[in-house]
Amino acid sequence: MTTEMTDEELSPDRRRFLGALIGLISSGITTVLGVTIGRYTIAPALSNTNVGEWTDVGLLEEIPEGKPVKRNVVVSQDSGWGRFNSQRLVWVIRKGEQVTVFSAACPHLGCTINETSNGFICPCHGSAWSADGERLGGPTPRGMDMLDHRVEGDLLKVKYQYFKQGVAEKEEAG
Amino acid sequence: MSVTTPRRNKIYVWLDERAGIGRLIGGALDEPIRGGARWAYVFGSALVFLFSLQVVTGIFLAMYYVPSSDHAHASVAYIQKAVSGGALLRGLHYYGASAMIMIIVAHISQTFLYGAYKGKRELVWIVGGALLLIVLGFAFTGYLLPWDQDAYFGTKVGTSIAGEIPLVGPLQQRIMLGGSEITSLTLSRFFMVHVFLLPLSLAILVVVHIYLFRKAGPAGPFHSKADHRVERFYPRQLLKDFVFVLVVFIVLIALAHFIPARLGPQADPTSDFLARPAWYFLPLFELLKYFPGKLSLIPTVVLPAVLFGVIFLLPFFDRRGERHPLRRPVASAALVFTLTGAIGLIVLSKYQDRANPEYSAKLKQQDEEAIAFMKSPFQPQEIGRSIPTAPPTVVSNPLEAGSTPQKIFFANCANCHGTSAEGGTLGPSLVNLERRRKLTADFLANWIAGHGREPSADSMPRFRQLTEGEREELAEWLLKVDKPLAQPETNPQPGRDGEAPAAFVASCAFCHGDRGEGNIGPSLAGITSKPNRGPEELLRMLSNSRAFGLKDPMPESFPDLSDKDKQAIVEWLSRLKSQ
Ligand code: FES
Repeated sequence: MTTEMTDEELSPDRRRFLGALIGLISSGITTVLGVTIGRYTIAPALSNTNVGEWTDVGLLEEIPEGKPVKRNVVVSQDSGWGRFNSQRLVWVIRKGEQVTVFSAACPHLGCTINETSNGFICPCHGSAWSADGERLGGPTPRGMDMLDHRVEGDLLKVKYQYFKQGVAEKEEAG
Repeated sequence: MSVTTPRRNKIYVWLDERAGIGRLIGGALDEPIRGGARWAYVFGSALVFLFSLQVVTGIFLAMYYVPSSDHAHASVAYIQKAVSGGALLRGLHYYGASAMIMIIVAHISQTFLYGAYKGKRELVWIVGGALLLIVLGFAFTGYLLPWDQDAYFGTKVGTSIAGEIPLVGPLQQRIMLGGSEITSLTLSRFFMVHVFLLPLSLAILVVVHIYLFRKAGPAGPFHSKADHRVERFYPRQLLKDFVFVLVVFIVLIALAHFIPARLGPQADPTSDFLARPAWYFLPLFELLKYFPGKLSLIPTVVLPAVLFGVIFLLPFFDRRGERHPLRRPVASAALVFTLTGAIGLIVLSKYQDRANPEYSAKLKQQDEEAIAFMKSPFQPQEIGRSIPTAPPTVVSNPLEAGSTPQKIFFANCANCHGTSAEGGTLGPSLVNLERRRKLTADFLANWIAGHGREPSADSMPRFRQLTEGEREELAEWLLKVDKPLAQPETNPQPGRDGEAPAAFVASCAFCHGDRGEGNIGPSLAGITSKPNRGPEELLRMLSNSRAFGLKDPMPESFPDLSDKDKQAIVEWLSRLKSQ
C-alpha cells in the first residue's frame, strides 16, 4: 500500500494559516474561561462582607443608671452562601445622658473582661481597669477599648469593631 | 523530518533535548488518517474538550459548593445568583453534561455505523463502552448535588429504579443511598463519586482509550474501494475538530447565558413534588410505565443488559470484515431502531405529561415555583443565631384576647416572640420594630410569608398558612406595637381523656396545636401512618430535628426532652390516628 501523505500538498503558508486558526480558537476559548474564572474567584474576596455597621444594643431606658451592664450584640458577616451571626459582649455605662460603650474583649489577649464592685478585671492574666476603663495594672497594654455608639430615638446602637491586641495604641484590627 | 516540527528556536531545542517534546508533539499530531480529514471524526476530540471543560468548571464550582444537605442548596444558589461569573460557570457545567451525553451517543453511533470497531479494535470499543457507563454515572450523581426539588425527587426516582432489580436491588439501593432514604449521607456519597472517583476513572480510561486507538490506527472510511490517500491529523483534521469544539462551546455559552441553568426551591422531602428524571433517563422511565410489576425487570435489567452486552461483546461476534452500513442491514437497523426508540420514548413521555391535565398543571406550577426562585434575589443562609433555652410559655386560650391582628399574633408569633412581644424563647423582641429597624409593612408581610428567604433550623418558619390579608394586617399592626403587650389570661384546661401528655403541651402544642391538630406546624393526626414517620422515625426526629432534612425544620434545640417524655409523645401520637 502506498502511503501518500496528501497534506504534503499543503503549502507551508497554508499549513501555517491553518495552525494559526487552531491557535486562535483555543486561545479564544481559554480567554473566555479564564476571565470568567478569574472574576468568579476574585470578586467575592473583594466584596464588603459586613452587614450593616451599627447593631442594636437595646432601648436606652433599659440601661440602668451608673452601674455597668453587659450586653450581647449580634455581629453579622456575609461570607458566601451564609450570613454568619455571632454574639459579642460589650459593657455599657450610663451616667445621665452620658453613655459609654466598651468592648468586653481584653486588649491583652482577648479574654472577656468582667466587672468588679469598682471597676473591671480580666480573669485570664489579671489585668485591671477603673470604672471608667482606665488601665490600672496587669499585662494589658492599654485601657479598655471604647466603641462608637449613637442613639437613635431612644435606641442605643453600637459599631462593633475588633482592635489589635497587645499594642499600647488602640488600633483597628484589619 | 516531521513537517509539524515548529521552527527550531532555542527554547524548543533546549526542551526537546531534555524532554523529547519533538517526538511527543510529532506523535500526537502526525497520526496518519486513511482517507483524509472528515467531519465525521470530530466527536472524539469534542468529548475530550467537554471532559476538560467539566473538570475545569467543576473544580471551580467546588470552590463555593458545600456537599451537605444543610448548605448545598444555599451554596448553589449563591453560585448561581450572587457570584460574578457563577451563573456562566454553572451553566457550562450543567449544559456541558447534557452535551457530553449527546456527543458520546453520536461518537458511538458513528463508530458503529462505520464499523470502526472491526479489525483488532475490540479493546478500543470495549473501553469506549465503559466510558459511556462512567459518563452516565457522572450525570446521575451530579444531578443530586444542587439539592433542589428536581434533584431530590429525580434522584429518588432514579434510585428506586435501581431498587427494582430483583435480589440485589434493595441492598444495592441501600448501599448507594447510605441508608434507606436520600439524606445528607447520600449527598456526601454522590459528591465523592462525582468529584473524585469518576473523574479519576474517566481520566485513566480516556488515556487508555486514546492509546489503544492510536495503536490500532483510525479505521478510515467504510467504502471498500482502496483509498490510498492518507493525511496527517495536523492540521486539517485538528482544525475540523477545533471548529466543532468552538461551535459546541458557543452553544453552551449561549444556553448558559439565555436560559440560566435551572435551580428550584430547596428539596423538601415532605412535599408532593411530581418527580421527573433528567432527559437522558426518560426513555427508561417511560418504558417502566409499560412493564408493571414483575415485568419491570425487562426495562430495568434485561434491556440495559442487552444494550451493554451488545456493546461489550459486539466485536467478538461480528467478525466479518464488511464495514459499509448498507451492507450490514441488521446492525444499521438496530442502531436506527435504538436511537429513534430512545428519542421516541422521550417525546412520548413529554407528550403524556402534557396530555394529562393533572400532571401538566402540577408540572407547570413546579416550573413557576422554580422560575420564581430563580428570580428572587440571593438570600444568605442565617447561621448561628443564638437560641436561648427557657421553656416556652404556654397560653391555652389565646384567641380570646384583643383585636384581630393581636389574635393572629398570639396564635402564631407569641410562642417564639413572647406573649408580650418583648422577645421570648426563640425570637427577638418585636416591640418598637418600626423605630428600631425602620421596617416597612410590605417588607414585614413578605418576611412573615417567607418570600425570598430560606428558613433554616435557626430562622423563623414561613407563615404561609396565614392569608395574604392576614399577613398584611399583622404587619401593619406589629409595626405600631410600641410597648409590651398586655398578657392574655392563662386558662389551662387540664385532664381530659386522651389529652396530650404534659411534655407535648409544653414543647409541641404551640406549633402543632393543643391536640396535634396543627397550627404553625402541620397537623400530626395520623402522622405515624405516613411513610417515614413511624414511631421510631419520630423518636429520631425528636432527638434531632434535622434528621430528615425538612425544608421548614422544627427549631433546632427543644428544651431537652427525656427519653420517657419522647416515648410518651410518640405513643400518644400513634393513638391520634385511631381517634
Ligand atoms: S487576656 Fe486579659 S489579661 Fe491576658
